[in-house]
Parts: sequence; C-alpha cells; structure tokens
Amino acid sequence: MKTSYKILIFIAVSMALLMVSLSLGTRTISPAGMADIILGGPGSADYTILVKLRLPRALLAMVIGASLAVSGTVFQSVLKNPLADPYIIGVSGGAALGATAGIVLDAGQYAVAAAAFAGSIAAISAVYLLSKRMGLGSTALILSGIALGFILSAAVLLIYALLRSDQVHRAMLWLMGDLSGARYDMLNWLGAATLILMAAVMAFHKHLDVVSLGARFSKNLGVTGGNMRALFWIASLLAAVSVSLAGVIGFVGLIVPHLMRSIFGPRHLRLVPAAAAGGALFLLASDTIGRSLVPPYEVPVGIITGFLGGAFFLVFMIRREAGR
Amino acid sequence: MNVFELKSVTAGYGGAPVMKDLDLQIAGGEFVAIIGPNGAGKSTLLKVMAGDIIPDAGSVSFNGRHLGEYRPRSLARMLSIVHQAVEARAAFSVREFIRMGRFPHQGSLVIEDDRDREVIEWAAETTGVVHLLSRRLTELSGGELQLVRIAHALAQNSSVILLDEPVSHLDIQHAVMIMDILWKLNRGGATVMAVLHDINLASDYSGSIIGMKQGGVFFNGAPREVVRYDLIEALFGTACIVMDNPTTGRPFVYPVPGYIK
Repeated sequence: MKTSYKILIFIAVSMALLMVSLSLGTRTISPAGMADIILGGPGSADYTILVKLRLPRALLAMVIGASLAVSGTVFQSVLKNPLADPYIIGVSGGAALGATAGIVLDAGQYAVAAAAFAGSIAAISAVYLLSKRMGLGSTALILSGIALGFILSAAVLLIYALLRSDQVHRAMLWLMGDLSGARYDMLNWLGAATLILMAAVMAFHKHLDVVSLGARFSKNLGVTGGNMRALFWIASLLAAVSVSLAGVIGFVGLIVPHLMRSIFGPRHLRLVPAAAAGGALFLLASDTIGRSLVPPYEVPVGIITGFLGGAFFLVFMIRREAGR
Repeated sequence: MNVFELKSVTAGYGGAPVMKDLDLQIAGGEFVAIIGPNGAGKSTLLKVMAGDIIPDAGSVSFNGRHLGEYRPRSLARMLSIVHQAVEARAAFSVREFIRMGRFPHQGSLVIEDDRDREVIEWAAETTGVVHLLSRRLTELSGGELQLVRIAHALAQNSSVILLDEPVSHLDIQHAVMIMDILWKLNRGGATVMAVLHDINLASDYSGSIIGMKQGGVFFNGAPREVVRYDLIEALFGTACIVMDNPTTGRPFVYPVPGYIK
C-alpha cells in the first residue's frame, strides 16, 4: 500500500475515533448533535461535558500518547534494544516518587505534577551521570536505569506502607495513569513543550536512522557524543513531561513504535510522525474504553493500555512470526 | 605523501595493550593487505586508524594531520571503514542504506540531492548491486549484504577505505567479486587497506602485505618478498609450502596437514 493511502486511512480513523470518544461516556452525546451543542454556547450541561471535560481529556490523551510513542521510538533506536520504552531510564520511578511525596503532603494537582516532573528530572540526571562514567553506552544506560528504578520503586512502596489508605488510593490511581485532570491551561504548555521536543526529534531523523544501525556505525559516519546526549535528553524530557501530567501509562511507548516500524519501515522521517499519530490514536482509544466500560466508574487508562496493548501485541507478534 | 603515519602506537581496550609500540607508514594509493594469526591486533590497527580507538600512547596522523584534530564529520568524509561484524540490521532498503553513506556530506534538511544521487548510483554500479537497490537489508544473503556495505562505504568516501575481513565468510565467487572491486578502486587511485585471512587473496591482489604478530609488525613488504615459507611459517606457526599461482604469477601458500608447530 502506498504511504499516502496509509496516511489518509490514519487521518480518517483518528477523526472517527475522536468523534466516538467525545460521544461516549456516562452520558452519550450523539456525534450529529455535537455541532448544535457547541454552537449553542456555554450554559447547557452537554456543552460543559463536551467542551470542558471530554474535549480536553481527548486532547490530553492524544498529546500524551504521541509523546510516549515518540520517546519510545527514540529510545529503541538509540539503545538498539527492542524492549526499550520511555521508562527504561528510570523516568517513571522518579516521577512516582515525586508524585507520591506530593500526595503525602496533600498537594494540589499542579503541585503533584511539578513534584513528579522534578522527580523524573532527578532520576534522568542520575542515570545520565552514572552511565556517563561508563561511557554512555546503551548497556550502561539500561542497567543504571533498571537499578535506579528498583531503588525508586522500593522508596515509593516504603511511603505507601506508612501512608493513610485514602492517600495510598490516590497515589495508586496516579500510578495507573490518570487523564481525568485534563484542563486547557495544562494542554497549552504541554502542547508547546511536546511540539518543540518533537520538532527536535525530527531535526535528528537522519541521525536516528544511522544510530539505529549501531554505535560504531554511526560514529564512523560522524555522529558525535554530543548528538547522542541531545537525543537522550530529548527523549527523556518527552517521557518526563507526559508522566508528570498523566501518571505512569505503560506500553504505549513500547508497542506503538514496533507496530509503526513494521507498517512504515525503519526510516525515522516517516517513523517518528507515524509513531506520534499511532500513540495519539492508541491512547485515545484506550481512554475511551476505560471511560465507557463500566460507567459511571472509570477504569484507569494504564490498565486498559496494559490489557489492550499486551493482547494486541501478542497477536501481532504471533502473526508476524507465523508469516515468516 | 603518506596517508597514514603511526608512531610508536600502543593501543587496546582498557586492559593489557593489544598493539605495542607500532610504527607504520601507508602511502597514498596503496593496496595493503594485513594478515596474521587471530588476536595479533589486525582489527585493532584498523580501529586505531579509523579513530574508533584512541591510542594509549604514540601518535596517529592522517593526511598529515593528527587524527584527533579532525572533527568526526570531516573525518567521515575522508575515510570509510567496513567493520568485520554488522552491529544491527534493520529493514532499511538497500538504497536508503547506501544513502546513509552521504550522511556526513549532507545538511540536516537534505534527503538526497543531485550529487548524492550521482554518488549513490556510481557506488551501486561499481559494486554491482543496482538490481538490489529496492530490496530490504534484512532480505539479503551474506554475499549481497557485504557488497551493499562496500557500496555504502564508497558513497561515504572513495579515496581511503579500510576493510576488516571483507571476504571471510563468503563463497569464492563473492570473495573474488569483492577483491576485484577493491582492485579496481585501487587502480582508480583509492588507498585500500584490508585485513584478510586468506593469504593467497592478499598475495594476488595487494601491493604490499603487513604481517602482524603479538601486536606488532612482523613483516611488511611486497607479496613476492614476504610470502615465503619461512616467514609465513614463523608468522602462523604452521608448516607451509609456497608455490607460484599460474594465473597471477604471485606466490601462493598452502599449509601442510598435521604440521602445526
């Protein structure tokens, strides 16, 4: 199939999914009536639900999904490890510790996000400095990320053991990935940060192609240590920004890059935008399912991505291996 | 002029040095084969020359300048290396892979300009891989992949090419094909240095052969001078018989079964 068709199909599916997502929930709003509700202006309950709750949430899901998938794509290429994901270097552990600390102090939504962001930056810096001593090789990065992750999750569990149960519940929900706090002001700066970081990734698309074929290979072509450090920080920041606003949403950054690589090929000029689109779509679908599965309760989106992503990925892998 | 000048170079991988106090000059336009037993430091020598390993002591100069003074990008435009092993394979098309050789020449927004196209097509023709251009790297046979890797190296630069065991795992057709390509490039003025395990290919194709042993140069000279049974036996510790190859007139070697020293 030609790439242009693939892109058209992608856009059509995204639009359809966005409509479905906006329409489903505790109260179903038919897509046909949406225009009337929006044109009717603020005041109606439907307007509040649609414009103030569901739309920002859908947008947040899409931006977070795109960030995680692009971050995972970069990590998989830079580390040349198919199991790499945005959390491989300890971002999630640092964010979880920061967020949990914020929740212990009964901080508000933004303070918790800020604490999570600070935690993830601290974790990234630690992994960076640790692995730099070992030459910033991919094995050094992965191993120091994993080791730090263990320490951080032990620290989080230690805090849980000492917390009141309602705080534990809030912290647990955060840990499972939570998009319910979506608001427009948050989307503004998240959107800006994500756009800048993704543009930076795209500026490196040829570097990423070369790097995905090996560290020595890319060095012989003139890729510098500075280029590698830049890529490390860009991918880490994408992960840190998403995790601090939406909690630890797993699997998106692992499976979407793989899926997109098998559909669009390994060239990052196409792969990165495809991963962004695929991640946006996948997280939007997951959150829509989470919201509408057992209304009025919401299943945290991280649980849906785990079930859906895991099952989907298994089927995909089995089919691909069988097709060989 | 000398392309490479190594002065008392000691290098290794952190532990005991693999290469000790080595001196070597390589003149421009030479076809140099490097032979020697496993672990003699042949790959290390190439890596030192390509700037992959920084020597622990001594100096390496390339085209009259210290190797460390080059920016990685400008060095990449003047020297290419085909390593022994492929680090990672991905489903890039052959054309995309050869095009990566243009990476150090390109601005960040360029995918493929006219000059790139010209060079890519020349590299593909020179190596005979035009019919493979739209295939995926993951679909190639070992021989095809090796030809494509050489095309990539040529797209990067065609004046100084280092190759680490370019024909070791190939059938004789692909081995001769690749040696012929290197021969032709050398005739066109390229400096070619190849680590070879096949002494006879080294003898048939190269202008000079460097024999390496225990991290140093054991001998260095034209095939006729160095492919002698006493030198080869001493280098490999294996009894050998040397005769003349009737087609090339160069000496050739075969080991005597059962006589490892």
